[in-house]
Amino acid sequence: MTVAVHGVGTSHFGRQPGLDLVDLAFAAVDEALRNAGGPRTVDAVWVGTVFAPAGVAQRVLRAMGLTGMPVLTVENACASGTTAFAEAHEAVRTGRYGRVLALGIEQMSTAFEGAITPEPTDPEGRSGLALPALYAMAATRWLHEGRVTPAQLAAVSVKNHAHALHNPRAQYSGSFTAEEVLGSRMISDPLTLLQCCPTSDGAAAAVLGPLRPGAVRVRSVALRSGRPWNHRSENVWGHDVVRATGAEAFEAAGLGPADVDVAEMHDAFTIGELVTTEALGLTGPGESGKAAESGRTALGGEQPVNPSGGLLSRGHPLGATGLAQVAEIVWQLRGEAGGRQVPGARIGLVETMGGGVSVLDGNACVVTVLEAP
Amino acid sequence: MDKRRFAVLSDLTVSRLTNAVKRSRPGRPVALIPDLLFGFMSGVTSADPRPRVVAGEGGGRVAGRRCTACGEVCAFAWPACPECGGAVEPAEFGPLGTVWSATVVRIPVPGRTPPYGLAYVDLDDGPRVLAHTGGPVPVGARVRLVPGDGDVEVEVVP
Repeated sequence: MTVAVHGVGTSHFGRQPGLDLVDLAFAAVDEALRNAGGPRTVDAVWVGTVFAPAGVAQRVLRAMGLTGMPVLTVENACASGTTAFAEAHEAVRTGRYGRVLALGIEQMSTAFEGAITPEPTDPEGRSGLALPALYAMAATRWLHEGRVTPAQLAAVSVKNHAHALHNPRAQYSGSFTAEEVLGSRMISDPLTLLQCCPTSDGAAAAVLGPLRPGAVRVRSVALRSGRPWNHRSENVWGHDVVRATGAEAFEAAGLGPADVDVAEMHDAFTIGELVTTEALGLTGPGESGKAAESGRTALGGEQPVNPSGGLLSRGHPLGATGLAQVAEIVWQLRGEAGGRQVPGARIGLVETMGGGVSVLDGNACVVTVLEAP
Repeated sequence: MDKRRFAVLSDLTVSRLTNAVKRSRPGRPVALIPDLLFGFMSGVTSADPRPRVVAGEGGGRVAGRRCTACGEVCAFAWPACPECGGAVEPAEFGPLGTVWSATVVRIPVPGRTPPYGLAYVDLDDGPRVLAHTGGPVPVGARVRLVPGDGDVEVEVVP
């Protein structure tokens, strides 16, 4: 069965310690159900979250009268929201359920004072490898290889913060210069503060069902977990799992990177967007930094990337991020993205990847290709 | 309430807690063994997941594993090969290697004092390991493992 996104919704994104996950989840689900139309219920729910307490899915859903149906909670690091989307899609595609809710939720501001605490049961977490440091390793390597310049890294931050000026749900935005980005506080060399995503709270949701007129069609969804990443790997961390997942999604959709009109991808750090842009094939090797700098991947450019502001600027509530990306692409493909609309966008792509388990090239990556009604 | 402190309880710790509760008498407090208490207080498990570096000729050597099926090397004493699932045998790697990439962490991390240097080091004929470097080191630098407990450490070869 061909699957469509019937409705999407999100909370505001930002530090919202005064709200709890019930409030954030309701904002997203209420909007998604209204947007989808029809009954205020679904046949099953998949919930993606990383750090929320046990039982959180049922706890937030019972507060809005969604009880009794199958509820499943999934965790796949930063790709938890899109993992929920992938599973909801599969449930509809196979006919297991008719109308399924995918919900992503996360409250970071009450769990961490700053960056995510490295996981002490993991070798590299126990060794003090905070996530900014993992991405910094990729940035250092690409700078060494001459595959990117500091100004090109900064251009990603400049671009995405400028995009978010048109997104009222974004955590923050701004007209920064490359000099301001590079001059902001050093977090993990060479990544400065404005090259890192903020600590965010939020929720995002999508209602999926059979294809119907006016709905955004899901052309394909692919989900993979990383293979070992080690001394034999030709590429920086995360590149190969994104490349493999993207290739699978493009093949299943019968499309290629050149067909993508607009993309939301995992820019937890500036280097992440550039590695992903190349891994997905939107640019050739060594071309992603130039594309960011020249405006090719900016709004108004040939292939805009992260029109919402991305994780860097819209914010990155881990479990919610993937579905926030889906919501943005659905709005883009329906022509409802306001001041950040990519004119005439027909094919949209969402990519999310999450990591943290050492020796693996990412815990998981999800890529989905969506098509305008 | 930090739920992560509970999330990192090992199976061993849980079984010890269960046994301690079984042994307790009504009206008396459950006797908590010190490392169980430490597990709650510190948020770390008793098992150290980091690679073990032993003293060897010319510096430290990582006590890891080599796959008997595919030959893949690994810095960890894991039960099977992460590449192919094959059987593994003990193997030592080092002491010399080359810095693949590096950074200096400048943000607070629990139990650590920033700034501190980290590098991915490709050991000669061995796996890639994450190592502490003290300060900044350039990509391509030759380094030597320093034997010791805890963090894997390297020093630049003069």
